[in-house]
Amino acid sequence: MTVLEVRDVSGGYGAVQILSDVSLSAAVGEVTCLFGPNGCGKSTLLKSIAGALPLWGGTVTLDGTDLTGQPSHKVLSQGIALMPQGGGVFPGLSVKENLRMGGYTIKVRRELDARIEEVLDEFPRLRERLSVAAGSLSGGEQMLVSIARALILQPRFLLFDEPSAGLSPKLTTDVLARTAALAERGIGVLMIEQNIKQALRVADKVYVLVGGRNRYEGRPGDINSDKELMHLYLGVHKDEGDPQ
Amino acid sequence: MELFASIVGGLLIGGLYVAISLGFSVAFGVLDVVDLAVGMWVVMGAYAAVVVQDWLDVDPLLLLPLYFLFFALVGAVLAPLIYRVRNNRYAMPALMGLALTFGFATIFRGSLLTGFGYTPRTVRTGLANTSWNIFGLVLPAERVAGFLTAAVLTLAFAWFLYFTRSGLAVRAVAQSKENAGLMGVDVKRTSTLIYALYTGLTAMCGAVMGAIYAMTPELGPRYTLFAFFVVVLAGLGSIWGVLVTGLLLGVLQSLVSTFWSADYTLLVVFLSLFVVLLLLPNGIGNRRSVA
Repeated sequence: MTVLEVRDVSGGYGAVQILSDVSLSAAVGEVTCLFGPNGCGKSTLLKSIAGALPLWGGTVTLDGTDLTGQPSHKVLSQGIALMPQGGGVFPGLSVKENLRMGGYTIKVRRELDARIEEVLDEFPRLRERLSVAAGSLSGGEQMLVSIARALILQPRFLLFDEPSAGLSPKLTTDVLARTAALAERGIGVLMIEQNIKQALRVADKVYVLVGGRNRYEGRPGDINSDKELMHLYLGVHKDEGDPQ
Repeated sequence: MELFASIVGGLLIGGLYVAISLGFSVAFGVLDVVDLAVGMWVVMGAYAAVVVQDWLDVDPLLLLPLYFLFFALVGAVLAPLIYRVRNNRYAMPALMGLALTFGFATIFRGSLLTGFGYTPRTVRTGLANTSWNIFGLVLPAERVAGFLTAAVLTLAFAWFLYFTRSGLAVRAVAQSKENAGLMGVDVKRTSTLIYALYTGLTAMCGAVMGAIYAMTPELGPRYTLFAFFVVVLAGLGSIWGVLVTGLLLGVLQSLVSTFWSADYTLLVVFLSLFVVLLLLPNGIGNRRSVA
């Protein structure tokens, strides 16, 4: 089985170190959730894996292929796509152009168009909005564009940075159900989520980062049963976990 | 009739301002650096044409593509420097970027002064002293040729931006470097490409401009100010705004010199910039954007 292995990774922005010796492994066909308080380095970790930030140390491998320090386009070509927080759509480009950007590394126009068609069959709602500027779509629609865009390259792994950020409770449920469906299709999902309760329903594996270090690793069932762990490691109150 | 002729003459010049400002605007969006050397690229293009006519004894307008190639190459060499300065880890990279392009402008100006002195030079073309009668209007051939050149360049550049894979990448980078990078775009290479296109295009316009107005190495800042006027008034990143304000600038300049005096051009240009920005703080064409 294909596994994304992160070993002893450290990194950060500029001269500021954020990650210290973080390790995790995520498998295809599973949803791996990454929890932790704000500023603990979750997003930094995903960006470092995706090649958007330089790694200071450690290794990233996919199925034994070394991806450490590879630029984004190399990581993409190995089948790892990152969806940044908020979806990262280009607001001034049309939906169609956003999808094109998703397949930017496909140089043959006909091949790209065929992939876009496939994805549109899966997201028929986007078909009517193809020529609309992505920035004028609602938050939920933008998230759809972002997911559709990430699927154009038929990735083996999707790195989701808070897919539910800014979405209504209903849309959050939708998006999380979609991620679970992606995992069932055999895609590996590594996801940061703030809606811990909901995320635990779809998660197969859980990691907790605190202060840029591994704090916990386990199965979602263990966390649910251990309220204290949530209090201690996540700094949440008993009633938190529901959006807004 | 004099008014009408003045407006048409201004529109013809305005076409060149559109072409220059368009590249300037897109390069700014992609590199995040205001290129203070923009006016010097215009002047250098004109001097390249002067060199060609002096040394090769051919009509300098015939070699327009050559200026494009040469200055695109120069731009491609300088672009990685700008990128590096803009993306360094040290304090105030934005300011450093400005200082760098200001430095380029100073070096260009100094070199031209050393090589050619203060004497104004004009690009002499086979079209000089020729007029074409177009729909009953007698127009100087050089201005018409300049406008046509600018129109072709503007259309080609817009086609590149909106109908090619690289153009799409350019627009994506202008919106978010990080997200474009995540899509697999090589941001540094895209920056180099766009800067090279912009310098080539601007110098080419400069060669044509040199046939219409006499050039001295001191004129760089004037064209830099014009490009500023157009881009700021257009609303940053707006192609349609650039189209409108570029033509507007040409007309304004033409009217001022016809009915008042060319000496007051900059004064009027800046007064109108202030007034428009007071009334429309986002610029004229902020509805549709490149960036």
